Amino acid sequence: MTGAIVRLGLLVVLLAGITRVQVWRVDTGTSVMLAAGALLLCGLFAGKVAKGVGLPRLTGYLLVGVVVGPYALGFIPGAGVKGLELVKGLAVSLIALVAGTELHLGLIRRVGIKVAVLCAAVCGVTFVVCFGAVFALKPVLPFLAAMTVPQALAVSALVSTVVVSFSPTVTIAIVQETQARGPFTEFLMALVIIGDLFVMVAFALAAGITKASFGGGFDVQGLLGGVGWELFGSVAVGGLLALALLVYMKRVNRELPLFLVGLCFAAAEGGARLHLSPLMVALSAGALIANLDERESQRVHHAIQLAGLPVFALFFAAAGAGLKLDTLVTVGPAALLLVVVRAVAIHLSCRRFAPPEDPRLRRYLWMGLISQAGVTFGLAALVARTFPDFGPQVEVLIVAMITTHELVGPVLTRKALERSGETRGDERPHVA
Amino acid sequence: MQALLVFLAIAALSLLASSRTLLDPSRFPGVAQLAASGLLFLVFGALLGPGQIGVLSVADLDGLRPVLALGLGTAGVILGLNLEPRLLRLLPRPVFSAALAHAGVAFLFVAVPLSGALVLTTRLPLPAAVGGAALLGAAASLSSGHFAVLGYRSGRMERSRGLGVALLTMLDDGVGLGVLALALVLGAAASPTEGLGLVSLALLLGMLCGGLLAFLTYALKDPAELVAVALGGVALVAGAAAYLRVSVLLAGVACGATLALVGGRAVGQVARALGRFERPTYLVLVFLAGCHLQARDKEAWLLLPGYVALRFLGKILGGRLAHRLVANALDLPPRLGLALIAQGGLAVCLVVEYLLLVPGELSQHIFDVVALGAVINEVLARRAFRQVLESHRAAPRSAA
Repeated sequence: MTGAIVRLGLLVVLLAGITRVQVWRVDTGTSVMLAAGALLLCGLFAGKVAKGVGLPRLTGYLLVGVVVGPYALGFIPGAGVKGLELVKGLAVSLIALVAGTELHLGLIRRVGIKVAVLCAAVCGVTFVVCFGAVFALKPVLPFLAAMTVPQALAVSALVSTVVVSFSPTVTIAIVQETQARGPFTEFLMALVIIGDLFVMVAFALAAGITKASFGGGFDVQGLLGGVGWELFGSVAVGGLLALALLVYMKRVNRELPLFLVGLCFAAAEGGARLHLSPLMVALSAGALIANLDERESQRVHHAIQLAGLPVFALFFAAAGAGLKLDTLVTVGPAALLLVVVRAVAIHLSCRRFAPPEDPRLRRYLWMGLISQAGVTFGLAALVARTFPDFGPQVEVLIVAMITTHELVGPVLTRKALERSGETRGDERPHVA
Repeated sequence: MQALLVFLAIAALSLLASSRTLLDPSRFPGVAQLAASGLLFLVFGALLGPGQIGVLSVADLDGLRPVLALGLGTAGVILGLNLEPRLLRLLPRPVFSAALAHAGVAFLFVAVPLSGALVLTTRLPLPAAVGGAALLGAAASLSSGHFAVLGYRSGRMERSRGLGVALLTMLDDGVGLGVLALALVLGAAASPTEGLGLVSLALLLGMLCGGLLAFLTYALKDPAELVAVALGGVALVAGAAAYLRVSVLLAGVACGATLALVGGRAVGQVARALGRFERPTYLVLVFLAGCHLQARDKEAWLLLPGYVALRFLGKILGGRLAHRLVANALDLPPRLGLALIAQGGLAVCLVVEYLLLVPGELSQHIFDVVALGAVINEVLARRAFRQVLESHRAAPRSAA
């Protein structure tokens, strides 16, 4: 571990040097590739350091991103971090594709209904508790204070749907890292994925109600069309991608990791342009491949493990660099209160509603549901775009919550998997 | 969106360029040749770029600068890694003299006459015209050994001769890079002193990154980690140079050369790791470079015939001189000059780098001439190399 610390230190010193030169060379060029290279290298070695002190590698990636990013030491320019949005989409698609290959019909038949019921209960309880908390904070939160009661209720519902969301990306990455296998892991992964579907539908409804409360009218047809397109359109496009991938593997079958990176890149970018969910697109593609051809699904899994390390390290380090620490100062107390309320709600609902036949679910499942990342970021940004009057302030609050969740979530998820007894160590450094 | 467009364009072109029908030399010899060398992507880039159909706009190209920087950085690091000091020390001195001869003669043949032509056609001040012509000469001095490599791999040429040509073409890169550095010293800043500072900064940055990369890869055993560190190192050096607006190519070369010097056992592994990404990165780089081509540049079209003809002459005479200088130390084909006509992608890298760092009318003319010239030289090189192979076949018969 000492070697990794020394290497990380040298990287940071080089970055500091570049920042000093930049002061002299005022007219600078593009910073995106600098951000990519620096975050990838820092992420890799920070991951090793984190592993050395018993933390998930992912936490190392996130923390080093925070430290060298624009909101702490400022060695990586903000424009560079923003330019890495493409990598974020790519990583989400790669992670979702791997997760999809785990979704066999047998598993869905075995735990599908139980997961859906528990998910509805957890999401429902968390939503109600957070909704109450946000509405109670009306006098304190500047964007709610000036609203009428019906408007404040609608906005509280909108904020709460975003607050409920989980992070399939973090969960799947930690599962990959710890090589966890077993019923508890399957249950957790299925729960966060289905939870995302619940949140997507609930968010569309809440956004429609909020629009109506501000005099925009309640467009049921548009609402259903939007949700339907996002869900079923994503599945359909994912199906097409799966077929394209299977044809490629049967006919061409060269440079599979590169082809997968390209395909996931197209899925992420194309999906975002078509208002589809890149996560759902890649997830359904992976699931279809897993259920059509088990052998090819194993090859996809293996190829992504080979290509995944740089993408994951860069993705999470960039996510860390993008965390706005200054928001913690402005809306910190309210955000921290909501973090605690959400955690308690998830904990209690898991304790109460998790299937009794496996006591591990009641004890540890809640820890795996604390993380928040890409999906929550996306929804917060959508709120800011859709409701320019108060949306940006909501975004600040949610980003402050995500910052906290990003730092504690991966550690808790790893702890949950370790306590469930389904981890197989971290012997293979080439996974997240 | 532009990134998606480029990705889709390159994916479609890759499929097209791997089509067996298109690659059949008996049906479309010119196209097959350009596809094999990657310069077909330059043509596609020129067609899809803002100068022609306009699928990619000028703003899109600006947004894709990081990708271009990554391509140039990768090319630079791979070039630098080839400058293996232990191997270079083993080479006899006449080999360096021969490389300098063929590159130097072509440089002088192009640079001297075109200085006058540039003064007359563009009404530039003398120093600027001489600088521009020097860069054209630098691009002209470069040769690619891919025909020789293909020749000995396919058994149509003796291995020792093929390797001899490939070695000479590899060593001429130094001339091109040296002239680029000089051009940047003179043109990339308000004064030559500041220009020298920027070139030195690029080299220092490259050396620091190379040293650091050597240290980072030391004792790494996992192949995935090694690939990630190699990619990160290239992105770091290219990104830092692009951020500080200094030469990415020179920084990359300095990085690769430093790594080759101090990297030890890991150098081979880094080279192999980068090798996996070399072809796709090169194709993207050439495509994006092609997008910068202005096909309606009249001055470039006027200079082009002179540039190609003078380079051809320079290579033939330079080849003869090189053959004479190195005859006892290296086995070379009898008509060496004809084997040196192919120009390769580095010439395009040189001028696109100059275009990015010293934007303006002159650098655009230079870029257009060299990019169009590279395509023409590639087509000419195929015919010229056939002559080399025929003389190679005839030689044993006459000897018998």
